[in-house]
Amino acid sequence: MTDANRLTEDDLIAYFEGAMPADAAADLAARLADDPDARAMLAGWAAQNTALAALYPALPGDAVPQAMADVMARARADEVPVARGAWRMAASVAILAVGLAGGWFARDLMPGATRAQNVAVAALQAHQTFVGEVKHPVEVLASDAEQMNTWMSKRLGRDMRPPDLAASGFTLLGGRIVPSATGPAGFYMYEDAAGQRITLYILPDGAAGSRSFQFAQDGATQSIYWLDENLSCAVVGDIPRDVLRTIAVSAYDQLI
Amino acid sequence: MGVLDEIEAAIPALRRYAHALVRDGQRADDLVQDCLERAVAKRHAWRGDGPVQAWLFRILINRHRDLIRAAPRPGHLVAVEDLPHEPATIGGQEAHLDLRDLHDAMGRLPPDQREALLMVVLGGRSFAQAAAILEIPKGTLMSRIARARATLRVLTGRSADPRSPGKAAGQPRNVET
Repeated sequence: MTDANRLTEDDLIAYFEGAMPADAAADLAARLADDPDARAMLAGWAAQNTALAALYPALPGDAVPQAMADVMARARADEVPVARGAWRMAASVAILAVGLAGGWFARDLMPGATRAQNVAVAALQAHQTFVGEVKHPVEVLASDAEQMNTWMSKRLGRDMRPPDLAASGFTLLGGRIVPSATGPAGFYMYEDAAGQRITLYILPDGAAGSRSFQFAQDGATQSIYWLDENLSCAVVGDIPRDVLRTIAVSAYDQLI
Repeated sequence: MGVLDEIEAAIPALRRYAHALVRDGQRADDLVQDCLERAVAKRHAWRGDGPVQAWLFRILINRHRDLIRAAPRPGHLVAVEDLPHEPATIGGQEAHLDLRDLHDAMGRLPPDQREALLMVVLGGRSFAQAAAILEIPKGTLMSRIARARATLRVLTGRSADPRSPGKAAGQPRNVET
């Protein structure tokens, strides 16, 4: 056999990977009989495939890691028929939030996961997380209010300026940005003369139609929350409800 | 079958491929997890052009390429000639490869060759499907597979290519399918 007649490796690879037109493949197969080197090469590749399949066997489908199963379960919760359109995202987020809290909030916030309740859950969680912080309750101190406002306005995509709650005896400690399922949210902390702290949670994302104040509670911690067209807010604190309500009204008036 | 069902059904295949590609169980599962989260989040934007599994593999591959770019790992680009040559432990049987040798050899392949070879070997895809998932021309896929196979052959202690040792790195011509 002359060199010109020999099968090239390119031909053999194309043949082996099934990437060759049928007639060319048939022609090549016929020529293999006279080409032991080519046959050895094909056998070597087949051995590689067999060994790779043995080295990386198929994984059993029923042993999917929990974290992956959770991703799918959350997605399915998002697909329930009532949760369509504008409410779909909110509903999934609320279910997720309640799921993460492990039933802790379920007592007060279920059933009827709604966008507004989702805000309340997030606000309560943020409050519980940061209110007890001694050294770092906020990310930016009120003394740097100008810088804080610029930063938070930029991150949240709207003018962000904490309301003045001095009339209720609360002064601003400072603020931070907290994550939420729909993007960054603003979080402000206030303190009164006795060291009592309240927090204000602001999500730059609202819903038309519902403007009434609503109430949520987790243990002694209470929240009054409301949705505007492009803003969702919640004030949270361990203070009497009527005081909290006065603060909410004051914040609402200033945040319009 | 909805998109979510199809995504869920693809998890074992994604994990198998990721485990072979990444060679570290935890990092492989992290990669799949990441892929699933992206797929689930984007499923309403996905236009349904082609099989769900191919779309998932594209997400996985792109994520893996991002990770490699972000943190290149040493050892992928060692020239074959510089490697210590250890013969396969099983002699004589041409059709038998030592799996540990093979595993080590896979780890020496450049990532683009490894992802290409595994794409055609695991999962029974056609050559055209594999090229589409990897988003490379068929000629490029052919070339990567040829180089991967030649390198594996050398690293697993096979005698060199019986006809032309240098040929394996050459550029195969484009083929029709």
